[in-house]
Amino acid sequence: MAIRINPKFIDDLDRFGAEDVQLCYQCGDCSAICAHSDEIFTFPRKSMRRLQMGLERKIETTLEPWLCYYCGQCSDLCPREADPGETMMSLRRWLISRYDFTGIARQFYKSKASEIIYVIGIALLTGLFLFYYGFSRGDFHVYDGKEAFLPSPFIHAFDLMIGSLMVFFLAINAFRMWYFTMIKGVTIKIPWWLYVKHLFTLPWHFFTQQRYASCETSDKSKLYMPWIVHLGLMLGYVIMLVLVMGFIEQFQYGPEGPEINWGVHIFGYLATIGLSTGIIYFILNRLNKKKYIQYKKTHSTDWVFIILLLLIVVTGIVQHILHRMGINMWANIIYVVHLIFVVPWLLRMPFSKWAHLVYRPLAMYLAAVQRDVKVKQEALSKSLFISVK
Amino acid sequence: MRTGIFFCQVEEGLHLNIDAIAKYSANLPGVETVQILGLKTRQDAKVLSEIIQANSLERIVIAGDMPGYYKPVFTKAMALAGLNTDEIRLASFQEHGARGDVAMDRAKATVACANMAVPFSLVAIPSKNPVNHATLIIGGGIAGIQASLEIANAGKLVYLVEQTGTIGGHMAMFDKTFPTLDCAACILTPKMVSIGQHDMINLLTNSRITEVSGKPGAYRVKIHQRARRVDVDACVACNICTDVCPVKVESEFDSKISLRKAIYIPFPQAVPNAYLVDGENCSYILSEGKKCGVCVKKCPKECINLNESDRDIDIEVGNIIIATGYELLDVGKIEQYGYGKIPNVLTSLEFERLTNASGSTGGRIVTKTKSINKKTGKEEWALTPDGLPPRNVAIIHCVGSRNKKYNAYCSRVCCMYSLKFAHLIKEKIPNANVYEFYIDMRAFGKGYEEFAERIRHEGTFVVRGHSTKVEMKGEQIVVRGEDILNDKIVEFKVDMVILAVGLIPAPGTEDITRILGITRDSDGWFSELDYNGNPTDTERGGIYVAGMCQGPKDIPDTVAQASAVAAGVLGSITSGKGIGHLSSVSLSEIEARAKTVHIL
Repeated sequence: MAIRINPKFIDDLDRFGAEDVQLCYQCGDCSAICAHSDEIFTFPRKSMRRLQMGLERKIETTLEPWLCYYCGQCSDLCPREADPGETMMSLRRWLISRYDFTGIARQFYKSKASEIIYVIGIALLTGLFLFYYGFSRGDFHVYDGKEAFLPSPFIHAFDLMIGSLMVFFLAINAFRMWYFTMIKGVTIKIPWWLYVKHLFTLPWHFFTQQRYASCETSDKSKLYMPWIVHLGLMLGYVIMLVLVMGFIEQFQYGPEGPEINWGVHIFGYLATIGLSTGIIYFILNRLNKKKYIQYKKTHSTDWVFIILLLLIVVTGIVQHILHRMGINMWANIIYVVHLIFVVPWLLRMPFSKWAHLVYRPLAMYLAAVQRDVKVKQEALSKSLFISVK
Repeated sequence: MRTGIFFCQVEEGLHLNIDAIAKYSANLPGVETVQILGLKTRQDAKVLSEIIQANSLERIVIAGDMPGYYKPVFTKAMALAGLNTDEIRLASFQEHGARGDVAMDRAKATVACANMAVPFSLVAIPSKNPVNHATLIIGGGIAGIQASLEIANAGKLVYLVEQTGTIGGHMAMFDKTFPTLDCAACILTPKMVSIGQHDMINLLTNSRITEVSGKPGAYRVKIHQRARRVDVDACVACNICTDVCPVKVESEFDSKISLRKAIYIPFPQAVPNAYLVDGENCSYILSEGKKCGVCVKKCPKECINLNESDRDIDIEVGNIIIATGYELLDVGKIEQYGYGKIPNVLTSLEFERLTNASGSTGGRIVTKTKSINKKTGKEEWALTPDGLPPRNVAIIHCVGSRNKKYNAYCSRVCCMYSLKFAHLIKEKIPNANVYEFYIDMRAFGKGYEEFAERIRHEGTFVVRGHSTKVEMKGEQIVVRGEDILNDKIVEFKVDMVILAVGLIPAPGTEDITRILGITRDSDGWFSELDYNGNPTDTERGGIYVAGMCQGPKDIPDTVAQASAVAAGVLGSITSGKGIGHLSSVSLSEIEARAKTVHIL
């Protein structure tokens, strides 16, 4: 089978953050030190080599970048300072843009401006729509109930609409990921029962990120902070997403007056703690750049991600306080501001880093399936080899 | 002859003023016209020929940094004017060293010579510079030894300064040399003995240079010689003093894998073959004569004088050769290899001493054995002759070499000696498994590739891929690496790990740089004048480099360079002038001399 080479691939990846791939001289230090690299999935050196050779197709169909959690040990050790860790990160960015069928992700990664225009455009549209809706139907000075500026059933419906749009894009992208890696990337047919056998890895990796935890070997302290904080941020985000999509109406006073549904609120507070700790931690580390090598380089899309999330969390907290204090008009204003940030955030997700919420656990799952297949394949080829001999 | 001088130079350097040179050239005999053309890349031959005809010129001088570039167009112009095209003379500023403080004078001189059609090099001969026939050689390794013998055999006096108690250097520590697997001592020790016995060699051990003054051909050097405290001529190396000495110190010669006494001989074949006292550890000297002193009482030849003091020696030499060699990078700072924490991780020099038949285990390759220190209660690991031989050995190449964090350069010898180690292990422990982790196999010399091939065929597992993880799993050392050619992550359980550690300039290199006023490159090695043309000269006349101190090289290259240095030194002595320096010749001298030279 002919292999197509893209000699400009390595230059192309510059935009995604991998700048020093050409320096690599293939010593394999990175693969040797990596806690996740093993017999079946050997990286990052192999990816570096493929990049140098311009084997775009090979990289497109591999799961290896998703198996790396960027602990930074490889970059730390690299004798050529070729930064394999950052290369894997860039490959993940590139893969996100590759899985995305719309081409929007690619545009975001290639041009800062386009992303900012996209975000601001959606934000303005959202703001206009909400103010128009609020002023035409409700009372600017009322927060709860039927007369409200933004009644919760409307917000619920609005959220579900935006959410389903997001899921639509994500689902297609995830399907493409499966197609690339499992159909184009594997030479033999994969039996369906393997998919069933490994199904449990999907929720397991989604909720524990156990693989990230095993990166901690590099760190001298017992707890690997990036993992814990990352997990907290992710869980907080997921809880919040579930609350917003399913229980938004429980956050507001009932028609009878100020009765607070604590069962929902407690989750909301937990999620807020997780989110805010995570954001503060990541911003500080990215500004400080000293403690963890993985925070040394920050792509522009990462900053959009963090800042947008920070604004969402801050406005969410402020709006909640104002609402509880009964300053309804300001609560309404901040609510609109909050939604102005939330909608572009949700509509940006399938095309940005946050998509790894889906891709990561999916990759773990598919990798588990692939592993079984590859082990079998190897055993097969070995027996063939011996018989030929 | 009617001459026209054309300046084809626009870039005026810091010291170069074209107008002033033009003014000077206008006054030279026979000059009709001086034109400043600037650095225009395309000159019109027609315009030039008109100028030539207008001034009815007979000779053209093109002056500038690259006059040769314009020669074709002037040839054309001369031909158009119907003149002899042989009468085009070039005055190249760059070629004749018109830079720095001498730039103006040198540029004028080149123009003057070209004007008279006299080759500059025939005229500009540095004045004679009487050369002292003695030579100082710093460092008594194989490079210093070879250079000393070459020069001394030519009948010239040599001062060989060595900072340890014996000559021999690193080569004396080696067991075998690659790729021939010759015994290193068999090559080296005869040379060492001839150094010791040579009439023309003045061997100064335990010494270092402290001050150098003077100029090429006549250097005055101050040497500080630490007290040996044993009379070299009287000592018969009977070993009684060592037997009675109570102080034990790690042996430098044995790469610190064994112990020596405070009065010792580095190794049995040392030259001078006499004992010496380690002033930093001897309890008699440390207590200022209050304790011990037992060796003095026991010495049958009464040749030990513990109260001897250091002395300073002043010598005068004509040439100085630096042959200070190298040392190993401190591998303890590269943490992932576990050196210093895992007992059976050895550096290459440690293994070299372990496998050497004159080493502490008598050449048996063993793993370290554990013992409990009775005084401190701590675990101690030592290489003893009754240790267990290793069954699996990993050898890791490029430790600290080709690494931007430590040494960016290749240390050049590691690949080959690592292969040699594999062979020695296989030879002494035939059923042992040897794993070589390499990045690129640099078998660059004569017979080296064949040697590498031979080692592969001997059953050594040569793994393309650099291991970077050496760790203890229980009692077992595990080496993890990527086998790139087989696309596998491999983990080998081994009993011993040998690190092919990168090389850095010897300690004290910095002092020598300062004392001699020469330069070093960014990696710390001494800079040679020109890597291709003058690999043994330094920027300062009469000072040469040989061996590792100029950059990593193997024994054959070191010996070759040492011999080459000797040729340079002997040449400067027999010609009666040092590396002559043109700066000593003035412009008026060149002008005057140019008139006396006649070219037919």
